[in-house]
Amino acid sequence: MSTVLAQIEQQIAKLSSAAVRKNTGVITTVADGVAKVSGLSEVMYNEMVAFPGGVIGIALNLAEDEVGCVVLGDVSQLKQGDEVQTTGKLLSVPVGKGLLGRAVDALGNAIDGKGPIASTEAYPVEKIAPGIMARKSVSQPLFTGIQAIDSMIPIGRGQRELIIGDRGTGKTTIAIDTIINQANINRVGLASGDPKFRPVYSIYVAIGQKNSNIVRTIAALEAAGALEFTVIVAAPAADNAANQYLAPFSGAAIGEWFMENGMDALIVYDDLSKHAVAYRQISLILKRPSGREAYPGDVFYLHSRLLERAARLDGKGSLTALPIIETLAGDVSAYIPTNVISITDGQIFLETDLFNQGIRPAVSVGLSVSRVGSAAQIKVTKQVGGKLKGELAQFRELAAFAQFGSDLDAKTKAQLDRGSRIVELFKQPAFSPISIELQAVTIFALQKGYYDGIDLKKVTATAASIREFFKARHDALLTEIRTKAALDKDLEAKIVAALDAWKSTNA
Amino acid sequence: MAAFSAKSRAFVKQLVQLSLIDGRVSSEQVAGVLAYLEKNPPARLQAVLLAYHKAIAAELAKSEARVEHAGPVAPEALSAIAAALGKRYGRAVTTTAKPNPALLAGIRVRIADDVYESSVAGQLQALASAS
Repeated sequence: MSTVLAQIEQQIAKLSSAAVRKNTGVITTVADGVAKVSGLSEVMYNEMVAFPGGVIGIALNLAEDEVGCVVLGDVSQLKQGDEVQTTGKLLSVPVGKGLLGRAVDALGNAIDGKGPIASTEAYPVEKIAPGIMARKSVSQPLFTGIQAIDSMIPIGRGQRELIIGDRGTGKTTIAIDTIINQANINRVGLASGDPKFRPVYSIYVAIGQKNSNIVRTIAALEAAGALEFTVIVAAPAADNAANQYLAPFSGAAIGEWFMENGMDALIVYDDLSKHAVAYRQISLILKRPSGREAYPGDVFYLHSRLLERAARLDGKGSLTALPIIETLAGDVSAYIPTNVISITDGQIFLETDLFNQGIRPAVSVGLSVSRVGSAAQIKVTKQVGGKLKGELAQFRELAAFAQFGSDLDAKTKAQLDRGSRIVELFKQPAFSPISIELQAVTIFALQKGYYDGIDLKKVTATAASIREFFKARHDALLTEIRTKAALDKDLEAKIVAALDAWKSTNA
Repeated sequence: MAAFSAKSRAFVKQLVQLSLIDGRVSSEQVAGVLAYLEKNPPARLQAVLLAYHKAIAAELAKSEARVEHAGPVAPEALSAIAAALGKRYGRAVTTTAKPNPALLAGIRVRIADDVYESSVAGQLQALASAS
């Protein structure tokens, strides 16, 4: 008996005397969210380090005799001489469906007061983007619910489409509309019980925004019933630069979980201009050499490695990215805008002039492009809206010439009239995305001349009236358009008949 | 004060290399280096000396283990620690004992940037940070 106990005691003694090895360093300076540490001779690049009081940081600059760490937490607790330890881990955030409907900070901690996050898995914040072999080309559509975009600048699942424009031109609104539209599609698709239906989950990353704006966005998503399909990652303006720098990468990690597990996700980075500014601040404090506009040399790589993580994977899911860039006075040739334009697969350019003219969303059709999305556009949209972009471009050109005189031939007048009607038709209020089948009906009505002869100011209301009529009386027809996703003669005849019925009731 | 230049840093590195014999700091070599610096003072001598002092202190810390302990430690235990560390780091290591009642029980060994934690206080801290 005593021998058995002695054996157990020996085992306990072995355990309790096991020494834990830690590699340590000492803080030499702390400034603006960055701590310089001497020691930490075995620290790895991007490794998490532990400061006293449970504060963590990331080793970003490995110099010969000093390590520069960004502090992710309360810097005021730290002082010169404090001990810092390596952890041997990369920074990770919780991932999974438990995050849906929740708002988290850049480290994945809940900030919405709804209790802890129900998650068992964690993904590293920094991860190398999928390679060539793992990818598949973009061929499935991602509907934004915005007519001007879905018909002329279509987006596919796995695409990176930049939303660019001056402040107050409706960039965030487009992103929020897209998230709301995914939620609307998800609800219909999941209710239909179609086993092939693939819901799109959304991640909204708010970088350097006012807390009031983030609250407003969450409220808009909640009101539209989209929050249950959305994860909010917030690094508001009050957060330190390190958290603002990390937030998009944390969001990408959360999105990657959906993609890796055979699901589709959409991620909105709002916005990458502020992200670049936060990174510039960190880099300047770390005394990295600065380049154009004082940004560090690797600011392009910062955004390219982030956006490359959006992909469509072969045999798995997809991650679609909608980065947002804010321009100054419409200057798309500035450093950060040109960088992100060259990284992404197209851009939606929003113009202040259009916005002020009441054309909302203020999408500049001439400057906007989608490089891969047309491959993902469904046939019905191509059939009804294939020529719209050209017609609108022609209209803009003619409208510019028409300003010089009123003596125009009948053909030009007709083109101008049609262009004006297209512009009116594409006007759409915020937070009210339109389903793809209703978009098809609305544009089909344009092609068949149902808006001709109507006062220009009433075109938007007429289109809304058509949509209401179809929703109320021709639900089966709308389902048929959605499921067939192409117009045949039979379907065309049915739509014409329904439009005639609408015309007779509204005559 | 202007930043220490890369040239000065390389110079200090050279001085440190000259101060070592078989990878260990030699007092004769250090005396020689100091005499040379006195005779041929470089620009910003004080900054060079401060950096040299820091580098030599770091070199010395690689061969000197500080053993913090709560309660008595037998001299044999200290020699065993010195032998084990010497084997691990591939150089002769000396130990200095320093009582630290805050550890509650056990020892903590510090050598250069590495800390070997085998104290009750350390284990309690690890438990607290894990929860």
